[in-house]
Amino acid sequence: MHISDGVLPVSVTIGGYAAGAALAAWSARRTGSDELPKVAVVTAAFFVASLIHIPLGPTSAHLLLPGLAGALLGPASFLAIALGLLLQSLLFQFGGLTALGANALMMGVPAIICGWIFRKFKGRTRLRHMAAGAGAGALGTAMAAIILAVLLATGGEDFFGVAEIALLAHVPVIIIEGVVSAFTIGFLFRVKPELLEHEFFKPTKARHG
Amino acid sequence: MADVIHIPLWYLPLLVLLPLVALAAAAVWLRRLAHRQSIAGEEPDWSVPPLASEKGDDSMLHRWDVRCKIVTIMIFSFVIASLSHLAPALAAVGISLIVLAISKACLARVLFRLLALAGFLGILAVVMPFTVPAHPGDTLVVFAGLDWLGLNMRGLLLAATIAARAVAIALLMEPLLSTAPLPVTLHGLSRLGVPEMASQMVLLSHRYVHVFRQEARRMSSGMQVRGFRKQTDFETLRIVANFLGMLFVRSFERTERVFEAMRARGYRGRFPEPVKLRIRPADILIAALWMAAAAALITYDRVIL
Amino acid sequence: MHEIDEAIQFRPASGNPIFRMRGLSYSYPDGVEAICGISTDIFPGDRIALVGQNGSGKTTLIKLLSGLLKTGGGELSYKNEPLDGRLLEQKSLETGVLFQDPDDQLFMHTVLEDAAFGPRQQGFSSVEAHTAAQRALRQVSLDKMAYKAPHNLSYGQKKRAALAGLLAMEPGVLLLDEPTANLDPSQEQVFLDLLKNFPGTLVCISHDLIFLYELCDRAVVLDQGRIHHDYTMRELVSQRHTLREHGLDFSFRLVVAPQVPEHGKSPHENPHSGGGRVSDRTPKQPVVAMQDYNHRYPDGTLALKNINLAIEKGGRVSIVGENGAGKSTLLSCLVGLRQGKGDYFFSGNPVTRKVQKKLWRRVGIVFQDCADQLFCPSVKEEVSFGLRRLGCSRAETEAGVFRALSMVGLEGFEERVPLHLSGGEKRRLALACVLAMEPELLILDEPTAGLDPRGEELLIQILRDLSVTLLLVSHDVFFIRELTGRTLVMHQGHILEDLPTRDFLTDERLGNLNGLAYTYRVQNTRDIQTLQHEHEHEHSHLHYHLHSHPHRHGELVHEHPHEHAHQHLHRFVHRHPGQGEKHDHAPRRYHEHDHPGHDKEPHDHSHD
Repeated sequence: MHISDGVLPVSVTIGGYAAGAALAAWSARRTGSDELPKVAVVTAAFFVASLIHIPLGPTSAHLLLPGLAGALLGPASFLAIALGLLLQSLLFQFGGLTALGANALMMGVPAIICGWIFRKFKGRTRLRHMAAGAGAGALGTAMAAIILAVLLATGGEDFFGVAEIALLAHVPVIIIEGVVSAFTIGFLFRVKPELLEHEFFKPTKARHG
Repeated sequence: MADVIHIPLWYLPLLVLLPLVALAAAAVWLRRLAHRQSIAGEEPDWSVPPLASEKGDDSMLHRWDVRCKIVTIMIFSFVIASLSHLAPALAAVGISLIVLAISKACLARVLFRLLALAGFLGILAVVMPFTVPAHPGDTLVVFAGLDWLGLNMRGLLLAATIAARAVAIALLMEPLLSTAPLPVTLHGLSRLGVPEMASQMVLLSHRYVHVFRQEARRMSSGMQVRGFRKQTDFETLRIVANFLGMLFVRSFERTERVFEAMRARGYRGRFPEPVKLRIRPADILIAALWMAAAAALITYDRVIL
Repeated sequence: MHEIDEAIQFRPASGNPIFRMRGLSYSYPDGVEAICGISTDIFPGDRIALVGQNGSGKTTLIKLLSGLLKTGGGELSYKNEPLDGRLLEQKSLETGVLFQDPDDQLFMHTVLEDAAFGPRQQGFSSVEAHTAAQRALRQVSLDKMAYKAPHNLSYGQKKRAALAGLLAMEPGVLLLDEPTANLDPSQEQVFLDLLKNFPGTLVCISHDLIFLYELCDRAVVLDQGRIHHDYTMRELVSQRHTLREHGLDFSFRLVVAPQVPEHGKSPHENPHSGGGRVSDRTPKQPVVAMQDYNHRYPDGTLALKNINLAIEKGGRVSIVGENGAGKSTLLSCLVGLRQGKGDYFFSGNPVTRKVQKKLWRRVGIVFQDCADQLFCPSVKEEVSFGLRRLGCSRAETEAGVFRALSMVGLEGFEERVPLHLSGGEKRRLALACVLAMEPELLILDEPTAGLDPRGEELLIQILRDLSVTLLLVSHDVFFIRELTGRTLVMHQGHILEDLPTRDFLTDERLGNLNGLAYTYRVQNTRDIQTLQHEHEHEHSHLHYHLHSHPHRHGELVHEHPHEHAHQHLHRFVHRHPGQGEKHDHAPRRYHEHDHPGHDKEPHDHSHD
């Protein structure tokens, strides 16, 4: 779920923009300017992936994929997610122009963390990869839900109820995301393990040790 | 203490379900209407609307300098977002509607945008009246026999204000985006200090969203003709994951090819500028008028109310 | 054993070569050698056909020439300067590369901006670049589409737009990777004309030798990263054994060349083309029947108009028509992906919404791009996917997978990853997935797209032996003729004609309508046939050998080296310009052959 325009206090939206811009700049620096066009193309694929609906009883949920984006793209994931959200807001009005920064934080920060977690725990076997993928997928969505709740709660106590419900509504999505991420990672492990071995976008400078 | 109005229980369905039904009906109607007027594909979920109309419309907004347009609409959006009362928010909706009329934007796309908001706002409208804590001066509606379920009118008002703000901003998106080709709009952004690469990335992504969407659609019909139907089960998740994996593998491969094609045509880290921008006094004048409207709204919201 | 004849160069160095390669090598990052030890020159104005099987290093060579890859060894120079660093940047602005997938190449927002991208990078001003772009778009007749976004173009238009992006830069060299893959015949003709008018140097990769024969004059055959032959195009097509050796033998297609009209009927009647001549048989229960069927796109265009169609059981029917004639829409209605208005009966039952949802159980379709159909991590899972959906048990699935894979010659591929298969193998796998489900109707959409000749030959063998009702959509006259007995001609959403394939093939009017009358193809096929005309011919080859073997002279058995001559038959490729005239051999008459066992042959010789 994305926060739409007009919900958050203006100070939070502006703060979100500032923090988002800073993180995006960091993400772009870590990615290296040569790789940025590639990030843009991959973002398009994630964008399309996030349009997929998964039936959930009578309703359906669409995938958020912060965990998977983090696992596949590493630090570039924040940039990709910010870009994807911007596109979404331009094309569909999901999210919204003023809430863009906050939305990017909500999805991008979990992506970076999950990317790190995935790389740390993926091990060598397919099962380990899948477990790490499940963890990243579920955790990514869970963190996104928590950040969403926190952001909503900044609106004052009037919004606590909404925040609680938003948090609860994400529980089934967390499970779906975990499962889907695990299977996707499993698929990639068999079909194109190169994608999981190292960061697709190599940073220009050597990583500081 | 909050004012409490007691009403019989049978009002509950009336008060809660009727708006819900009305909202759902409105959503369906909007969707139909938008569909009829648009050239979207078979499944609405997959359709990616175009960002600029192909016919060469002309309006004041089309001629307005793109930098002024971006800055003005951005500031105005934030002003709208900061309004805290319903009346000024509704006034903002009015201003947006006027701008919309001037810009001759495509109605179907505006409807699509509103439709996208409907879900989130609908949830707010249902949830907030019941979850907003009661303050002194609030009007509570309590149903006979259900004392714990208090419907707080202030919550409803809050939700309505939020909805008005969201709609007012959403209505401005078409005038902002479809009155100039996307590359020009983005070029305007980069002239305003956003790194040029950012706008180029938006353009590239936007271009390839269409490519991947077609790819994904072909893949999903490939699955359908072999009998795949989405259901709520584990197997569906596994197959969707395969589908995602395939989509990613193909996109990563395409990424490399696109980058090669770019380099083969001389790409060295920079894209050419699409247009030269010029600001005329009239551009500033329009911006100033609009900003005055924004200031009036703020004053109305903060000082008068 | 096959010999690499690098000794025979295409021509002696005339003037300065544009590209000079000496011992050029390249290895992929994983260490696999893609190109090794290539030495040749490319001269200004050369039109080179780069041929070879899939995976022989053609695309890598093109990338090396364009400077996209850094050489892994050896020497590569462009206009007498080694190709590296600064020169590489300058050079890529003088060389145009046309990639296979036009979507990779059209990365800008509108067609015009895309065409102007190259000139802008060359340092021209915006106005100049746009003039150049407009000019290039006019050349490919897309000037009316200049402000459209690339995704609103058809495939053929995209391909031309990609070419316009190169032409706008006025390159001296064009490197083309499969320029005509997936194009319909009329689009192909347009492309061919464009390329023929290109004044500079051309290097073109393609599997379509008839197309190359028309366009190129020099042929370079690559095999496992090495140049195996480098000679004229005429020599390449005339030497069938060379073609076969490199998996390029397309000669099986040559029978297609429509005979001269006087001959009337084609001599090559396929015994399987059963479905033909519906009229003179008592109609059986049709598998598919459509009456007054219409389909309207959501935007209001009528894609199918008044379709009346009946395919009887066991029939083999092809649909032809230009791109956009409504063929794909008809297919998606047939398989139940779309629903139009009108009557559609499957096996006699009306197709209602409910039946439509179950049509997948009875209709199988192989898409044009089979990559869209393969999404499992292993071949086995891929084939069993449909079977599991049908509700087969584990054992049934297992058996079905095995049966389907052996039908398409992919036994033992169960654990392979579909994505890593070659193009031909993927196509056969997609076919296996469908065949495993034992459909009553099998639909093939452009089954030859992107296959190399060897893959095509395999595919046609498989399809010939199937006994299923077949609906084939293709531009490929050869496949239509080989596999089907009845042809539906579609044009702008109508079925214009429904006639026996044989009549269709001889009807030039219909051919023209659909752009299927490739005049150049017919002409070339005839040329190549005369070049290839192969028959057993008695040549008195007098071989003088000195050899020794024991033999008897009356009472005396002795052994000594002696010289003798003998005569034997040869299969020899040569052409006959006309009856009564002296025949003329293919340019390279000299060929090596051995004479197994002739030592033992009885022979006489005198002892002086």
